[in-house]
Amino acid sequence: MSPAERAQRWRSALLWAWALAVVVFMYLPALSLLLASSTSSRYFIFPITKWGFDWWQKTFNSIEIHILFKTSVSIALIVTVIAVTIAFFGALAFARYEWKGRSIYQKIVLLPIFFPQSVLGLALLLWFNTIGLELSWKSAVFAHLVWIVPVVTLVISIQVYSFDPALEEAAYDLGASRWQVLKEVTLPVLFPGLFSGALFAFLLSWGNFPLSLFTTGADTTVPEYLYSKMVAGYTPGVPVLGTVSTMIAAVLFLGGYGIIVLRRRARS
Amino acid sequence: MTTRSPVLELRGITKTFGTFTAVHGIDLTIAEGEFFTIVGPSGSGKTTMLRMLAGLESPSAGDILLRGQRVNDLPANKRPTCMVFQSLALFPHRTVGQNIEFPLKIRDVPAAERKARALQLMAQLRLPESYYGKNVTKCSGGERQRVALARALAYNPDILFFDEPLSAIDYKLRKTLEKELKDIHRETGKTFVYITHSLEEAMVMSDRIGVMRLGHMVQVGTPNEIYTAPNSKFVSEFIGDVNIMPVRLNGGRLVSDELGAEFLPPAVPTGFSNGHLVVRPESLRVLDRRDEAENVLTGTLYNEYALGSRIQYQVRVGERVFIAERLRQQALTGRLDTEVLVGWNARDSILVSD
Amino acid sequence: MADLGRQRARQGPLNAVPVAIFLLIGFAAPLLGVIIFSFMPERTFSLWQAPGLGNYATIFTGTSYLSLLWSLGLAAVTVCLLAVICYPIAYGLARVFGRWSTLLTLLFTIPLFVSENVRLYGWILFFIKNGVMLGTLKSLFGIEMESWLFTEGMIVLGMVYVYLPFMLFPMTLGVSMVPQETRDAAFDLGASKWQVFREVDLPLAMPGIMIGFLLSFVLAVGALVEAKVLGGQRVIPIVHDIELAFTYAQNWPLGSAMAVLLMVVVATFVLLVLRRFDLDTILGRR
Repeated sequence: MSPAERAQRWRSALLWAWALAVVVFMYLPALSLLLASSTSSRYFIFPITKWGFDWWQKTFNSIEIHILFKTSVSIALIVTVIAVTIAFFGALAFARYEWKGRSIYQKIVLLPIFFPQSVLGLALLLWFNTIGLELSWKSAVFAHLVWIVPVVTLVISIQVYSFDPALEEAAYDLGASRWQVLKEVTLPVLFPGLFSGALFAFLLSWGNFPLSLFTTGADTTVPEYLYSKMVAGYTPGVPVLGTVSTMIAAVLFLGGYGIIVLRRRARS
Repeated sequence: MTTRSPVLELRGITKTFGTFTAVHGIDLTIAEGEFFTIVGPSGSGKTTMLRMLAGLESPSAGDILLRGQRVNDLPANKRPTCMVFQSLALFPHRTVGQNIEFPLKIRDVPAAERKARALQLMAQLRLPESYYGKNVTKCSGGERQRVALARALAYNPDILFFDEPLSAIDYKLRKTLEKELKDIHRETGKTFVYITHSLEEAMVMSDRIGVMRLGHMVQVGTPNEIYTAPNSKFVSEFIGDVNIMPVRLNGGRLVSDELGAEFLPPAVPTGFSNGHLVVRPESLRVLDRRDEAENVLTGTLYNEYALGSRIQYQVRVGERVFIAERLRQQALTGRLDTEVLVGWNARDSILVSD
Repeated sequence: MADLGRQRARQGPLNAVPVAIFLLIGFAAPLLGVIIFSFMPERTFSLWQAPGLGNYATIFTGTSYLSLLWSLGLAAVTVCLLAVICYPIAYGLARVFGRWSTLLTLLFTIPLFVSENVRLYGWILFFIKNGVMLGTLKSLFGIEMESWLFTEGMIVLGMVYVYLPFMLFPMTLGVSMVPQETRDAAFDLGASKWQVFREVDLPLAMPGIMIGFLLSFVLAVGALVEAKVLGGQRVIPIVHDIELAFTYAQNWPLGSAMAVLLMVVVATFVLLVLRRFDLDTILGRR
């Protein structure tokens, strides 16, 4: 092996080591939650002496937790449907069409992403109050959308950038109507982007805390409930629920990505 | 050419990537001041080869000698060689002047001297002086080509490498730039090593050509040698449109079993028994009478294409389509789908092994 | 077909309408509300009072401006650390890790979908006395240490942890925008590895790097939970003050004024950076 190659090996080995170390860093909290949820004692003392999943059982049998999940999932599902619909058109304006105000429009769309979410939550609280809207999980849907619509617009735009407009023109030229072009060409070609957009919308809403905190009123989402429990003092229910919501996020995300990959493979 | 001293010697150069061997034990000597072109289709290993010569990859086996010194482990930034890349790799965040001055800046040449040298190179490459402060991304294709060459020349290398820099340029401009490059080669007297997939491009510029296939150097020779005496079916086909048919030698005559015909052979290589007969379109004529050529076939005129001064005819003989040519003045009229005679003289054909 | 071209000219603005209307109601209007509220007299809940600058005066006579400085300082430290931590990974993802890059990217993305407070709580379980780290040290090596929780350092750790993907992804995008041939060319022209980095890598990856800096900085200035959960309220960031004014103190005008101040700071950074870049090139328009 030449010295140059050896140096290169060393460099990639170091890069790998660093990247893996940071991955471990990213998952240490999740690991800690998992460990803390797997003890049958009331308090968390490491190393664990009494392993067990009693607290998992207790948590899953609680009616309160079922309601929490129902609220969180309902919000996330509705957010997904609305966000993808609005963002689909938003992404076409963002990346597909050449028009006069596009550059400004692109920057305005990004603004909510660049905005501290807690402050956004408070501003929405104030706004809902001003227009006399009663706070509930429905107002939280609206609040989530303010942040998620721009993110999803961005995600779909990336797909739209690689969309060849000549495909649409060819379809028109072959006699398709406007609606047929949308149904037969645009939507299928952009499907991976729409799907990722939906995935992001659901998961970001599922994991959102700062916006929910100020806008759900009497309703409670999973992250909100966890927060109220963790400031109130230690209970093993928190690590259990934390682990569950992490796992749900991981499974949905990896599963969703898997679907995209499989679909792409099936095509080629 | 043989009197010139060798500047670059390759001894058994091999490059493997995992289990894939991109370059198989190539031996080659390039002489001082030579314009040497490596031609091959994509995947022939020519780019890998050039990257090893430039020091951007190191060979898995074999030695690279530069003026007799082994340079295998000398990285690209220490080698007195320089490359013009396929994408040209101009620095998009720098002006034309800054691009050309880059290698000088790296060597801490004073600013005034750098500028003087850059302007001198720009003049040599016919780039207007006003371009000095111009953003390279605003330059046209031909101008960018010249900037890339000027930048490489500013490095003052012993050898210049070219990785298909003209492949993305339209035909007319490419022809101009090919000639310009040959002029620059003469003016500077430096050694040029050029790679391309176009043998036509190689023919125009090179002193010698090496043809690569699947990591092997299959033939090295002057353009004339490659054109008139290809040593394999691959090289003869690579040159462009040719008529090629399998033949076997039988008692001093060539037999084509497929066409059921016999031909008078050209000079037969020693030990030849089976192979292919190559006839270039310009040697295969559409005949008026059977006695106009030594070897004659009867076929059907299938289509015709006007190529400026010549007209090309597709003639179908059995299952095989032959390409023949005629001067425009002797163009056939109203003969499509009729029977025609095509023929060639034995000395205009070439016998190659597989 | 002639009429298709004319239709296309209208398509852009037409498609932008839903997003535009939504952001007008959901983003611009609330912000306008906050701005108006910030000029209202103290402790009012109505928008129809005589405006004044009293709330802004209160911020600078009180301690809230210190909170803003803390937030800016912590964000600056976080961004610097993130730059150093993320560049090697971004480089690896763009050039070295090959087909593993996708998997690594997915792994770095997943935590984004778990709420910050839950993940930060995981850190508490890790660092707390008798937690994962100290418990292991004690049982395996007999080392007993004070917990590092509730310190400024721990807040920075939490922020680095939470905002890492926001630095990493734009940075990776930036690094992958540098063509390999351009780097090779600089190296071939005599530049050392360091010179290639300085003269080619850095300037050409700059759009992505700047977006990463901006995104992580802006989000870190607005950080709240890190200080609350991991900092044990040793440091009060500006958003905490804002939250207190809105909830506990029931002083919406003061909270609004602080929010406006924060927005002005953030907007200045965003506009300064975004003005310099063309989003189309960064996001990969062909």
